[in-house]
Amino acid sequence: MFRRTILSEDQMLALEAHLAGTLRPVTPPLEVVQRLRERIHFPQPEEIVSRFRDWQRMFVVLGSVMSGMLVIITLARALYYLVGRK
Amino acid sequence: MPDNEFNEEDVLTRASQGDRDAFGLLYERYIDRIFNYVYYRTGNLHDAEDLTARVFQRAMNHIQNYTDRGVPFSAWLYRIAHNLVANWHRDRSRRQEVPINDVPVLPSKGDHPERNLVRSQEQDALLRFIRRLPAERQNLLILKFVENMSNAEIGGIMGRSEGAVKSLYHRTLLALRDQLGDQNISLDNE
Repeated sequence: MFRRTILSEDQMLALEAHLAGTLRPVTPPLEVVQRLRERIHFPQPEEIVSRFRDWQRMFVVLGSVMSGMLVIITLARALYYLVGRK
Repeated sequence: MPDNEFNEEDVLTRASQGDRDAFGLLYERYIDRIFNYVYYRTGNLHDAEDLTARVFQRAMNHIQNYTDRGVPFSAWLYRIAHNLVANWHRDRSRRQEVPINDVPVLPSKGDHPERNLVRSQEQDALLRFIRRLPAERQNLLILKFVENMSNAEIGGIMGRSEGAVKSLYHRTLLALRDQLGDQNISLDNE
């Protein structure tokens, strides 16, 4: 079927009017904008990594404290054993 | 800070240094435009929301890579949106989902909400035809009519010359005219 490849000015104006009426800018619903805002403020991977590092550091500190306490208890027991024997 | 008062260049510099508040300003400025683009390209609210969030998350994670080489920040954002929408369409076609032809009606800017909850049959038909067009033609129409961009601005986003955009626009109008004619939908009632 033969199709005309020329668009008359009237047709063009009518089509553009239809398109302008159909493709109108819309306003996203407020709850959508709010949800999006919350999603955007999720922690970034770098933040998660830094939090993980903090957690690792806390684990090391806790381990050091426990080891220190164990050394103190061992020394105290040794001292008590030596003094007790005398 | 009101939307028009900030200097985008400064804000972009701050955002690229990891300043989240600066990125928040960019988000507030472009959220409506990106949402509109994705909404018309996907045809449903749920995916428009999800993809819009992903556009900004990707932009936030890669903003250090954005350098102003004559391409505005908005063009960079639209390109991210275009790529994500293209992936979304590819995934849908792989899953063989039924294409969405009925774009839900949302209130338009500056109008009373109740006035816009109904679309005429001609508008519905035209929207269906638009959604069957190749992606680049859909992009062109959305950027031209929803975003009110000039051919030069559209060319900047699509990576084409102004003349090429003009020619593509003309061919798109011809295709729409023929499709509407095939369905006996008149254009004379405007």
